[in-house]
Formats: sequence, C-alpha cells, structure tokens
Amino acid sequence: MRPTWRVVGAVALWLVLEWYGATSEVSWLFLLAAWVLALVVACGAYALWNRAGLSLHLAVARSRPAGDSPAEELPETVLRTSPYAAPLFEKDGLELAVGLRTTGGARGPAWINGQVGDTEIRFATGVVPTRGWSRLKVLRELRRGPVGASGWTIGTSDPLGFFRGQRSCPDSEVALVLPTFMSLAGRRQARELEASAAVPRSGSGNELFGIREYRPGDSLRRIHWRSSARHGELVVREYEPPGLQTLAIYLDPEPPSDDVADQIARIAASEAWDCLREGGRVVLWAPGLEPSESPRDLWTQLEWLARYPREGGPVAQQPGRKGRHLPMHGEELVLITASSNTELFEVSERARRRRGWVVGEAVIDADIPLQRVGTQWPLP
Amino acid sequence: MRRRLRLPTSPIEQSVEARAFLFSGFAVAVLGIVLYGQDYVVPAVGLIAAAAGHVVSYRERNQKREFWRQAFLAAMVFGALFYVIADSSLALFGGILPQANFAILLVAVTSFDLKTRRNCYSSLWISLAIVYLAAVYAWDYAFGVLLAGWTVCVAGFWMASHLKRMNAQVQGPVRAIAVLLVAAFAGGVGWFIVVPQPSGVPISPLVISLPNFTAFKGDIASPALPLVQLTGDPSGATSSVDLHFRGRLGDAPVMYVRTGAPAYWRGLVFDLYRDGAWTASKTGYREMQPFVPPRFLPPPPPHNLGTFVQTFRVLRSLPSVINAAYPIESLYAPVAALREDLYGTFHTPDQLRPGQTYSVVSYLPDLSPDALRADENPSSLPTDDLAYLDVGGLSARARLLAEQVTRDATNPFDVVMALTNYLQGQYKYTLDLPRVPTGRDPVDWFLFDVKTGYCEQFATAETLMLRSLGIPARLATGYATGDYDPVLNQAIVREHDAHAWVEVWFGGHGWVPVDPTPGVNPLAATRFPSHWAAGGIARLIPHLSIGAPAEALGSLGVLAVIPPAIAISLVVVLAYAWLRRRGWKVQARAAPGENELLRLYEKVQRRLRRRRAPPETPLEYEQAMRTALLEELTDAVNEGAYAGRWPDPGRVREMAQGIDRIF
Repeated sequence: MRPTWRVVGAVALWLVLEWYGATSEVSWLFLLAAWVLALVVACGAYALWNRAGLSLHLAVARSRPAGDSPAEELPETVLRTSPYAAPLFEKDGLELAVGLRTTGGARGPAWINGQVGDTEIRFATGVVPTRGWSRLKVLRELRRGPVGASGWTIGTSDPLGFFRGQRSCPDSEVALVLPTFMSLAGRRQARELEASAAVPRSGSGNELFGIREYRPGDSLRRIHWRSSARHGELVVREYEPPGLQTLAIYLDPEPPSDDVADQIARIAASEAWDCLREGGRVVLWAPGLEPSESPRDLWTQLEWLARYPREGGPVAQQPGRKGRHLPMHGEELVLITASSNTELFEVSERARRRRGWVVGEAVIDADIPLQRVGTQWPLP
Repeated sequence: MRRRLRLPTSPIEQSVEARAFLFSGFAVAVLGIVLYGQDYVVPAVGLIAAAAGHVVSYRERNQKREFWRQAFLAAMVFGALFYVIADSSLALFGGILPQANFAILLVAVTSFDLKTRRNCYSSLWISLAIVYLAAVYAWDYAFGVLLAGWTVCVAGFWMASHLKRMNAQVQGPVRAIAVLLVAAFAGGVGWFIVVPQPSGVPISPLVISLPNFTAFKGDIASPALPLVQLTGDPSGATSSVDLHFRGRLGDAPVMYVRTGAPAYWRGLVFDLYRDGAWTASKTGYREMQPFVPPRFLPPPPPHNLGTFVQTFRVLRSLPSVINAAYPIESLYAPVAALREDLYGTFHTPDQLRPGQTYSVVSYLPDLSPDALRADENPSSLPTDDLAYLDVGGLSARARLLAEQVTRDATNPFDVVMALTNYLQGQYKYTLDLPRVPTGRDPVDWFLFDVKTGYCEQFATAETLMLRSLGIPARLATGYATGDYDPVLNQAIVREHDAHAWVEVWFGGHGWVPVDPTPGVNPLAATRFPSHWAAGGIARLIPHLSIGAPAEALGSLGVLAVIPPAIAISLVVVLAYAWLRRRGWKVQARAAPGENELLRLYEKVQRRLRRRRAPPETPLEYEQAMRTALLEELTDAVNEGAYAGRWPDPGRVREMAQGIDRIF
C-alpha cells in the first residue's frame, strides 16, 4: 500500500488549517484540521482492510457459437458428455465473467486489470458486494488453444483515494478453444472401414463397454455384483465386439505457422470425429508429444488437439519424456503434416494401412497416398 | 519539467456526483454565513446563482469556452471586487460581511465556468474560506454540525473524483464507509480535544468587519462602563467612576470574545481620585489608522510568553472604547480612525454598535511572582507625572492601616501582595451595598465601617493605599473574562462581568494588573494558559501542559502503576477478543473442496429430480434412489461431513466429469 499525491494535498490542507487556527484563535479550524487528518488516518486503515479481503474471479459465463461451429451440429448425446458447460470452438465467441470475490462483508473500491489471450481488460468498481462483483467481457473470434489469463492485478484503495494497494494474481487458463472440425467421410478417397461395420454394440470382446440390467440368458460371470448391490437388481457388464477399428493420427511436430498448425488440428479433429462417431477409437500423436488418452472420448482428443503443438503442452512440461514413441496398435494410420519429418514417416511405416494429408506445398517423398490442402477452412 | 508539472488525467469535471458534492459544500458554507453572520440577501442570491451555474457548466462541460462569455464572467468578478471594496470602505451596501459576500459572489460567478479540475478545486477552497468566515462568527457548538457537513462534502467530492478517475460508478460499501466516517469524526474530535493547539502570530488583520465610519468630533471622551452610573451617553457610560453610585448589572451578554487565553478585557484607566470619584487627568491622544501595526505601539514586554489573538463581537451598544487584553501588540477595528489616549487605551469615533467586530493581538507578559519580586527598579514612575502617587485625600487611618498590613514586606511586590491578600481576606464582596452616607469618604466607609463592597471599593482602596506607600498605581476598568469555553477558545461576556481592578507600576514590567476583589487570583489577569498548553478539554485542568500527565502520574507514587495497568489490560482484552473472533472466522471458513463437493451433490439431486429429505441421511438417500451415480459421491460427502476429510477440488471435478458423462 502506498500513499497517493492526494495525501500530500490533504496534509497540506491540514497544515494550512492548523496555521490559520494558530494565528486566528478560531478553534473550529483546529477541529476541521483534526477531521482532515483523521480522515487520512482512517482511510489508511480502510485501505489495509480493503486490500486484504478481495480475490480475483475469472470464469466463462457462456459461449457464443459461430455460425459454422461444430457445437451446432454435434448430437445432444455427444454434447452431454462434454466436460464443459459450453464447449468452445475456433471462431466462437466467449462471454467472460471478470470480477472480484470478497470475504467478510462488502468492500471497495477496487479495480482489476490484466490480459485474457491478447485482450487487455480493465474494470473498476466502487463496491464489491458480499455476493461478489463481476463484469462480462466478450471475446470474439477465438483462436484454437488455451485462453490464458496473465498479468492480472487487483488494485484497491480507500474511498477517498489517499492510499492505493496492488496485488498480483497467478496466471491461469480460463478456457480451452477446441479446433473446429467437419465430417470428411464424403470426400474420403480411401476409407476401408465402412460405418456399418463399426456400430457400437454389446458383444463379448475384451473392452468394457458399459453395464445394463440382467436379462435372462446372460452369463453369470458378467454380473457386476457391486453395481447389482447398489441398484438392488442384477446388473451385467457389456463388452465391445472384437475387431473394432483404432485409428492412429500422427501429426507434424513442428508446423511452420499457427495457421498451418490450426489446419492440421482441424483435419485431425475431423478424422477423429469420423472414426469416433462410427464407434472406433482414436489415438493422436506427434513426435515429442505424449499420445492422447481416452481413445473413445471425442473431448479428450479435441483437448489434445487444442494444445497441439504449443509449448506448455503435455510433454513439453515434462523433460525426459520428449521423443517417446506411440506404440502401434492401430489398424489404420492417418498422417497429417506440413513437412517431411523423418521421425514421423519412420514411425508410420509400421502401420498396415496408411494415408496422409499434406498442408501446404511441402515436397513429401513417401509411399503414402496423400491429399494436399491449403489452410482454408472448410476444405474445398 | 513541464510534463511533471502537468496534472494527471482526472476527468472529475465529468462527474455529476462530484459537482453535487461541490455545490453542497458551498451550500453548507453559505448556511453558516446565514446562521451565524445574520447575512441573508447576498448568500441567497449567490446560492441560487451557483446552482444555475453548476447546471450550465455541467451541460457545457465539453464545449469550448467562448470569448464573450469569459469576458462577461470576468466583468462579474470585477463587479464583485468593486462590491467588496465599496462595502468595506464606504459601507455602500450596508457593510455586512463584505468579505464573505465577496467570496459567495465569486463562487456564484465562477460556477458558470467549472470546466476543469482546477476550477472545481478553486470553488472548493473558496467555500472553505466562507466556512472560515462563518467560523469566526460561530459561538456555539451547533456550528460543529455544519463543519462536519462541509467535511462530508469534501470527502464526497474526493470520493467521487477518485471513483471517476477509476472509471467506476460512485458507490461504495455503505457500512464500511459509515464506519470510516464515524471513526474519522470521532478520532478528529479526540485529536481536537487532547492534542495541544499551537498559537501563532497573525500576519494580517483578521477579516472581520462591520464598518462604522463616523468621524471623531472634538476631544475623546472617557466613557466609563455602566457598572457605576446610570446617566451619561446612550450606552450608559460617563467619564468618571463615582463610588457613590452603583449601576444595575444583569446577565445579558455584552460581547463575545474569541481568544487564545482568558484575560481581563481592559477599557478605561483612571488616575485621579477626588471626593469619591475617579477621573482621567490626561486628555491628550494620538490619532491612528484603523489598523495599528506593532511598530506604532510600545515594544513587547521583556520575557513575554508570546502573543494571542482576540476577536470581539459586540452584542449591545458599548462605550467607544476598545476593550482588550493589554499590552497590545497590534489592533484592527473597522472604523474610520482610532485614537489612543495617554493611558494606552484605544477609542473609536462612536460607540460600538451591536454586530460590530474588531480584533486585537496582545502580548502574554510573564508576570510570575518571582519575576516581579526580582524587579530591580519597581517603583520608578512611568512618567514625570506624579498623579500615580496622588493619594486623593486618603485618610490617615487608612494610610496607617496600609503601613500596618505591609510592615513585614521587604520589596514592592510583597507589599502589593500583602495588601491585596489582606483586602481579599478581611473584607467581603457584595453587590447589595447601601448608599454611602453623605459626607462620608467612600474608602474609609468601606475600610472601617461596612467592610463589604464591590470591585470598585476594593480596587480604589488598594490603589490609594499603594500610592500612600509610594507605589505607583491606577484604577483599571473593563470586563472580567466572562464564561470561558476552553474547547472553542471563546468567552461570553455579560453585564455582570463589568469589573474594576488595580494596575501597579513595576519598572521592569510596566503596568501589572492586580485584583483585590475576593475570590479571584491576586494576579488574575496574568493567569494565561501556557503558550503550548493542551487544547480542548485538557485546558479545563489548570496549567495542564504537555508534561503534566507524567507529573501527575509521578505524584501518585506506587499507585501510578494502576492507570497504565488498566490501559494495558484493556488492550490485552481487546486484542484477545479480536483474535478469538478472527480465529472463529477462520474455523468457519469452508475447507478446500467442501463447497465444490456440496454443490455437486446438490446438482446431482436436482438432476435426479428428487432431493434428499431433511431427516434422510446421505446413505439412506443413496439407497432410496438406487443409482450408481451416488455411490462415490455419497461416500465422499459422508467422509467430509463426518470425518472432516473433504476431497480436493480436483477430485471433485473428476467426479463431476464422470457424472456428467453418465447423464
């Protein structure tokens, strides 16, 4: 907490009043001077109190989907499984609630300023009510990737502006913008696995599919006793049919530009979407990055792609794990690149069926059927 | 350099609230002038004009200034200046508070041009000057309310401008700000009461006036106070003090005195006693300007304790005499001219009228008994005139009495004190004195017959007896201090405070006031508070200075530990209570993850479309709902609620994600 120039003014006023009081014997001036000084002192105590009880609050209030946002097209069943209340995709808008929380009663005045993404934000208020205070900031045309909040500070003062305090807040991630995608099934030239062959259904494979109520004829070995006890009726495990497709998508680890990286992520997301909605599994990988997890979950893949290939991604923060290769267990591999990355092509040779996408004009010397695209979206 | 001098951006002129507080401050100041200055017309006009001006200047705050409007406003300012000069020097408009009216008109005119922050602050400071002028005339505690109101307006102006600079709405936490203001006002009052108030020398005459431009006609008169005579001029004064008569003295206030020290307000001085009446033998004078600077007055007394200011406000017609504490350092009275008689008393051309005000700066002479006793040249006459040794027909019996009373005294001061103490101890004060018998000398009648009297009898007897012992003395008249309020540094002087006392000449100190009237200090007129004495309530305790508390504690001996012990105990108890309260709050704060988990539990209940009934335990609820969703959640809630082990927020988020997927 530091005093402002206004304190100097108030102290000067106090001195003038004391001086006039001393030379005129008008006691009221001493009283007025005492009040001015007491205001300064009380404001100092107030500023200390005000500074102590405020904390920053940043949260996504709601999304504003763009016209061609995948969020508009995704089935309700898929949207329900989203970890986000409102998933954000490229070019969507975002209403960010920026505010302050208080402990121990209403406080103020206070102001906050910092950066969300590339947008500088500053708000101020005279009072932070007990229930908290917030303002909405609309961020439009979001780019893929984490929306970081950085350089945030909480400024506080007394109501009269005699003293100011400032507190820095740690950087944080307020949202993750997922890559946009579309179904490429219509334009795919070499797709071996048809949708009809991959509809999820209960069977007797090895991967646990889910649980359902017991039906006559079900094997007793499949009974899930714990769930049965909980439900009060018999419940059995369901398994996936064997031979379901796993699609490996390998990505260029060092795309030459953000636009290219965005395009690679979009194509990968589209490939993954086509595979997943047909019941398959998807694993994403790029040299130097950890492969994606939860191969049957669209949102996990999209999150992985949202962070691709920026520093601060899953592997870059963990030295020593960089360069770990994805174990091959897929039947089909899709390679998406903008350069002739040696490691990428070497690893891809282990796959039985391969195809690829090349973003841009890079010359690729590999025995893989390739489609060449630019950075425009949707794909022509 | 120029960039440094430039004020930072602060668009407070854009704030309606700041302007509202600005105008309110001005209104409070004007109200003070109306209530305490009895000035109505110009304040009312000024207030209305200022209100209109604020509206105009706010509406046009973003417009460029027009030349002709600026010229018109400048002309109005010059018009106000003409008004104050004309009213101050010629009383063209009645001469009622011209300075205050000028300030009011200045604010009213400039209100039409409040475009910048400087303009706003200028207006604020002029309203402070108006508050100051009202404070000069404020003689009761109610003015404190107005002062607090003005302070709130200033605080509001600062708050509005601060929030405007932050680009925030003018609002705040009401409770916290109320506590802030109450603390500030209480703390300010405490500071005002306890902390010593400094006293300084004014650099210019105080801005007080109600001009009276009657010129002197003929020689100066010596109108005595109406305590001894009923006839004479309209104020009840005559040019003599006749001990055969006694005036009627009521309780009506005569004047207010704002002063840094309670003193005797001396008026006329008499040196010639004949046939029971005092008169002034010297009629010479010198004429002076209304402001009498120090260079025209006698040099300051040696070893004086400084100066103090007195402001007198006359409440009823008084003789044309400046009553003040003597010796005077400088003087200002809003009259055409002043005359100083040969006794050092100042006279006005006409009697002082109700509402008339003047200010005087007086020295605080160091009249301690030790200093007076050590005076090396005590009885040398102030002039060659022997009038101050004229016994005026004092009887031989009285002279003998004086010698008997003072026979043990070895120096003039002890002689004076011996006689003063004798009169105070052996004679009674009364206002119900019968008429002096015809042919009987009033002094002998007082000393040997009735042995009771009022101030004139005591003072006359002592004056003449001192003269008989070869000590120059004279009779001083005026007013006692009156009802002195040490908090506001002011005294209300009433009719019955009219008084007479003795002035004794000491070569090294000048005329020293001595009061033989019973019930007062023999050197009462010298009992000024210490120059740096504590202000406010502390002044209620005689001679309480900054070091007094320590001395008072020291005088208690071992018992001195009790007050600090009580204070320390109080601090410890308050600190303990505060820590307890703080600790309780910390305990009450939710553990990390608690709120998140309970919110999730609520959310799941909502989604399941049946909430847990109040008597239902989480386990019973889980069993009743028969869903796998609640299994992990119920375990977590039970563990947190009953074992105090709440899951960390990350774990709660994972649970929420799992539940969301299932839903």
